[in-house]
Amino acid sequence: MDEQKALTAHLLRRAGFGATPKELDEYLELGYEATVEKLLHPDQAPPLDDDVVRRYHIDQNSLMLIESSQAYWLYRMINTPFPLQEKITLFWHGLFATAYGKLNHAKGVVNQTNIFRRSGLGSFRTLLLELARDPAMIFWLDNKDNHKAAPNENFGRELLELFSMGIGNYTEDDVKSCARAFTGWTIANADYMSIRASRDSIWPHGRLDWQFVYDPEDHDDTTKIFLGQTGRFNGEDVIDIICAQPACAWFVASKLYDFFVSDTPDEAAIQTLADEFQRSHGNIESVLRTMFLSGFFRSEQVRFARVKSPAEMVAGTARLAGSHRTTDWSIVGLAMDANFMGQEILNPPSVEGWHTGTEWIDTGSLVERINSAAQEVGNTGLAGVKEIIRRMRDGQDVLSPQDFVDRCLDLAGGVKVTEATNRHLTGYAASQGDLRFDRDELVACSEQRVADMLQLIVATREYQLA
Amino acid sequence: MTATTTFTYSHTVGFLANQGRGFNNPVDVALDSQGILYVLNRAGPETALRMPYKRVVMCTVDEDYLGELGTGGTGDGEFWWPSALAFDSDDRLYVADEALQRVSIFTKSGELLGQWGEQGPRDGQLDRPSAMVFDSEDNIYLTDSLNHRVQKFGKDGAFLGNWGEEGDGPGQFNMPWGVALDGNGDVYVSDWRNDRVQKFDPSGRYLAQWGSSGDGEGQFKRPSGLAVDPDGNIYVCDWGNERVQVLSPSGQVLACFRGDSVTSTWATAYFEANPDEGAARLAADLEPEVNPRSDRHRETSANVEKLLWGPTSVKLDGQGRIYIVDSLRHRLQIYRRGS
Repeated sequence: MDEQKALTAHLLRRAGFGATPKELDEYLELGYEATVEKLLHPDQAPPLDDDVVRRYHIDQNSLMLIESSQAYWLYRMINTPFPLQEKITLFWHGLFATAYGKLNHAKGVVNQTNIFRRSGLGSFRTLLLELARDPAMIFWLDNKDNHKAAPNENFGRELLELFSMGIGNYTEDDVKSCARAFTGWTIANADYMSIRASRDSIWPHGRLDWQFVYDPEDHDDTTKIFLGQTGRFNGEDVIDIICAQPACAWFVASKLYDFFVSDTPDEAAIQTLADEFQRSHGNIESVLRTMFLSGFFRSEQVRFARVKSPAEMVAGTARLAGSHRTTDWSIVGLAMDANFMGQEILNPPSVEGWHTGTEWIDTGSLVERINSAAQEVGNTGLAGVKEIIRRMRDGQDVLSPQDFVDRCLDLAGGVKVTEATNRHLTGYAASQGDLRFDRDELVACSEQRVADMLQLIVATREYQLA
Repeated sequence: MTATTTFTYSHTVGFLANQGRGFNNPVDVALDSQGILYVLNRAGPETALRMPYKRVVMCTVDEDYLGELGTGGTGDGEFWWPSALAFDSDDRLYVADEALQRVSIFTKSGELLGQWGEQGPRDGQLDRPSAMVFDSEDNIYLTDSLNHRVQKFGKDGAFLGNWGEEGDGPGQFNMPWGVALDGNGDVYVSDWRNDRVQKFDPSGRYLAQWGSSGDGEGQFKRPSGLAVDPDGNIYVCDWGNERVQVLSPSGQVLACFRGDSVTSTWATAYFEANPDEGAARLAADLEPEVNPRSDRHRETSANVEKLLWGPTSVKLDGQGRIYIVDSLRHRLQIYRRGS
């Protein structure tokens, strides 16, 4: 695979969920920088039209259930024409981790992810403000219990520790001031909604969406000292002060680097991103543009250096195989696969989100990853697999075992394997001889051999990496 | 129908229950010759745990629970994506299934009498049958949604004819959903993705159409089930606009139901058994102000319980009642037509 193609495939693995051979051709024709711009501007085309999904999957119309909501999001990851929009949504969901488990309200968490879709590539200040007003977040971190006379510090603390700055950049007094600034930021009908959530009541007529309300009577409007500044701060003021902190720029830059570039931190690269964060007043699109066009992102060193999360794994493999491109009841099984691999999207294990990197892989989850992916790419009836077979045959009726393996790796998204892995794959291919499409009676067998080889490729160590 | 015709909300039947008394994502309702309601519950997603939730629930219009029949699965007589049901003149119950691509026939007590249908694009084959209705001769008109056509069958499944193809011209369809007949046997089809209703004579000859895309009066956003009363007025579930519109034969909008539900008898019993939740509900504002950023009608319905949310079917009886299947709120909202 030539360098430009390898680089574009790398970009699409990170800024999306991998590219099919056809998509890769289209992006290559566009050029790298134009591809980056296209990815950064999902607003330039109509949103994914999901009416057909909601018609046939009646449970995905109301999104009452967690598994239905997971399937709905996976369908979006697989079918979106703007993969970065779903990828940045997955990033913010991992950072601002809010879980169905406490809320008992899947659509509430889905509504929160819609904030990430809408604002995830824009201003970080706007994003934090929308998050602070998001009913699911208010419920998740108990801000509905944060009253003028009895502050609850949960949201104020996590806003500083986990969402914007990190430990060491604020004091306990700052936490208290932060919490007081968000008193009165609550949801409508808090008592009724709390009792429904506490007993997981779906009666009488399913879930009711929540609404943000600001109660000025319950807001502490007195003077506060926060991060060295003094004033009668409300929540918006606190967010403004946070976003101007160098620690906030570093925090967001390091999280973006970890998710999009490498599991191994690079301080110089993170500083470059933090500088752009400050220069652009927290514009995430600008920071990502700087990242995708940087030398450290394009470097060979960071390619295949991140472990794919389960959501990336199942969505990327389904895109490659061409499955779940239309409404299909089995997509809920794909959501279950990601769950079994250790990532229940919309239901992270705690407010810290998921432990990523090599922690995605253990003996059990590896088997799940391989079984799920092998089932997808092993199906010669799927459109994506058919397309790979068609391109495999294109202009070449007979392929040597080495050509067969190299073509398969290329068509599977430019998977780069070690020499040892390549040797094993080629050895297996050689045990069955050349791949032949020159005689009609061999075609079906050769097509199955391609699917078998794809199954071996998705089982490699390298395919687990993005 | 004259200008003095009135429409009023009557009451609500149902609440959410996975098994027994209650509904789970109902998609259609049919009345037998005695006026008993048969409510078809789709109850996704398709996991093993939820298979028993897919069923037909029988009850009266006064909410007396009478039992249930059927279950989820792929075996004979089981349901996977059940979509529609109807009675023939002998009170046999026909249930269509969009995943299993077939129509199953039951006695009123749930005994399977037979089934027919297979997937495909050829004459008589099916690709997601979404709705069906019997004519006066016990033949079935059925919307074959992914084949973009209407098909006509004998009640034993014998293919009698079809019309339509994918497109947006007269007589063409884009994933049709509802089908209904008027007193003359003319056929009305909600042409889902073309946001219109088309009318045909019994042989499939195009006669008229109503509607355009939008949420204004007389416009539609993805219309689903529909019905026609003896005066020729057309009741259309405007699924994407979360309402039911009533059109005169000339296309004038006579009424628009956005939803008026109050607590049903079964729901009231739930709150009597859970008084703390009932008390918290009484203190709550169940019609909060909402300002959705997008998909305004659907998101408003997700917030305000009394409103229709995902209406999939509307049926009429001989006593002026209008039964709206309020699928995402697991109930029927019943209105009355009077003069």
